[in-house]
Amino acid sequence: MAILEVEKLNKSFGGLVAVNNFDMSVEEGDIMGLIGPNGAGKTTVFNMVACFYSPDSGRVIFQGRNLVGMKPYQICELGIARTFQVTKPFVNNTVLENVMVGTFCRAGNTREARRKALEILEALEFSEYKDVPGHELTTVDHKRLELARALATQPKLLLLDEAMAGLNPTENLRLLDLLRKIRDRGITLVVVEHDMKAVMTLCERIILMDRGGKLVEGTPEQVAHDPKAITAYLGEEYAAT
Amino acid sequence: MNKQATGSVSEASAGGGRPLSLDWLVIGAIVFLFLIVPLFLRNPYYLHIFVLVFFFAYLGTAWSLVGMAGQLSLGHAALVGIGGYTSTLLFMDLGVTPWMGMWVGAIFCAIVGVIIGYPAFRLRGPYFALTSIAFAEILRIYVENTEVGPFGIPLRAAMGLLVPLKGHAPGVFQFDSKEPYYYIALAMMCAAVFLSFLINRTRIGFYLAAIRSDQDAAESLGVNSTKYKLIAMVISCFLTALGGTFYAQYFRYINPDRAMGIGISIEIALVGVVGGWQTVLGPTIGSILLSPSGELVRAYLGGTYAGLHLFLYGLLLMVVILFLPQGLNNPLMRAFRRLEAKVWRPRVIEKVVAQEATKGDKPERRG
Repeated sequence: MAILEVEKLNKSFGGLVAVNNFDMSVEEGDIMGLIGPNGAGKTTVFNMVACFYSPDSGRVIFQGRNLVGMKPYQICELGIARTFQVTKPFVNNTVLENVMVGTFCRAGNTREARRKALEILEALEFSEYKDVPGHELTTVDHKRLELARALATQPKLLLLDEAMAGLNPTENLRLLDLLRKIRDRGITLVVVEHDMKAVMTLCERIILMDRGGKLVEGTPEQVAHDPKAITAYLGEEYAAT
Repeated sequence: MNKQATGSVSEASAGGGRPLSLDWLVIGAIVFLFLIVPLFLRNPYYLHIFVLVFFFAYLGTAWSLVGMAGQLSLGHAALVGIGGYTSTLLFMDLGVTPWMGMWVGAIFCAIVGVIIGYPAFRLRGPYFALTSIAFAEILRIYVENTEVGPFGIPLRAAMGLLVPLKGHAPGVFQFDSKEPYYYIALAMMCAAVFLSFLINRTRIGFYLAAIRSDQDAAESLGVNSTKYKLIAMVISCFLTALGGTFYAQYFRYINPDRAMGIGISIEIALVGVVGGWQTVLGPTIGSILLSPSGELVRAYLGGTYAGLHLFLYGLLLMVVILFLPQGLNNPLMRAFRRLEAKVWRPRVIEKVVAQEATKGDKPERRG
């Protein structure tokens, strides 16, 4: 069953059409990758699903409910969490306090929020950082913190915006491993990504976007061999062969 | 025998496992010192300075609750004024004791807080600060020029309200010496600081910290930022209004310029900013520093250099913003933690170890 359905989504900024009649369907338990060159509209789609932008027209259906017009905190309560491309840690708070902001979403009191936050940190092997303030963390740890905080809200659907950007290959592998573990816990993932290789190994389905619309959809294999994909990324001259 | 031994061991670990916290001891000692000050200090003027310190610490703490949501209010005087005017008018014209009237004013101010906050908090940027100044100034000008307000409320315009004197009458919040005011102000300050401390340890505190740090991130984690800013605003307004009643009863006189003017708004904000406007103890620290210096300068140099205290405030504000943008609270706390680590912790640990050793000895001796 599809957990998320995006129907005929449109969004323009002034005269610029960022997203044009975009459709997407994400099955429960899947890892869906959204890729495309710069300016293809990936992040705009992402932000409309996360309710940070409202679409000019179209619908975003999560578990049978239209999200259009809702506020980010409302969809968080429904079970959608997101991370940010440019990480947004609460810099003056410790890692534990950062994660507790997320766990409060489903916890009745401070003690319960603390316990759940410690569990999440434990699961992400992040416990030793719990008392470190946000501004002292490195880029990788900021990414991990984003993930920990998003998971803390106990989402059914997790939206990751360029989670892999800025990581070195080792860190990348660890993160991929982590994302698979998250999926194995029954959380559906939608990943917006630049890094083709990471997406190819991680995702079950991929949508390649170009100029605001869907160019190719399919398994990583299908997308990798599609001439349209090669054109979009590398230019016409490579597509002919 | 065996049972006894295990019993005493678990007792030792339960009692000694948590070292005594220096924080509570220091806070207890400071409160105790404040409690006994009037026993030694008989000069009413010096007591008055203490009352001012507590009063502005109270107002600053109430104000900083909005600061914790990342919002700067420069119009808290309006709430002092509404609180003071409500209780005083109820007393003057209807004979309601200010002890009751203060709660009416507080509830009224909480509603006013929602009315100002709801539209302003939905916008980002400096709109709330601007709205708050505008509201306070409009209110001041309105009251200054209105003899009889809506529903026939006699506001008495710029003349202000003179609280009818009843001599020593605790039942209507009037005392003929400074000491009762001193203790009331102290109690209000302690209650406000404790409330702020509690708020900071619960959901609201976590959410406010998140909102002021990054509102988008907070919203994505399920925080309804408008709602939590409003909660902070309502609590802040409620407390500030109670302060307004104290102001009217303490000075026995309240007028639009003094109680609703920009001067008192800025004084409240200054106390918070200098001390650390997003911290629990910051406003209290700020008030301890600013209120006496302002008052003494006004008292001793006010005749020759009128307005010198404002100059001094400005200077202090510049120094603090340049060198300690987070306020005095954080550097002071760090210094305190270092002191604690050096002087206190080793002793506590020694003490605990010693206690456990002696407790451990006992069963052995019996055996």
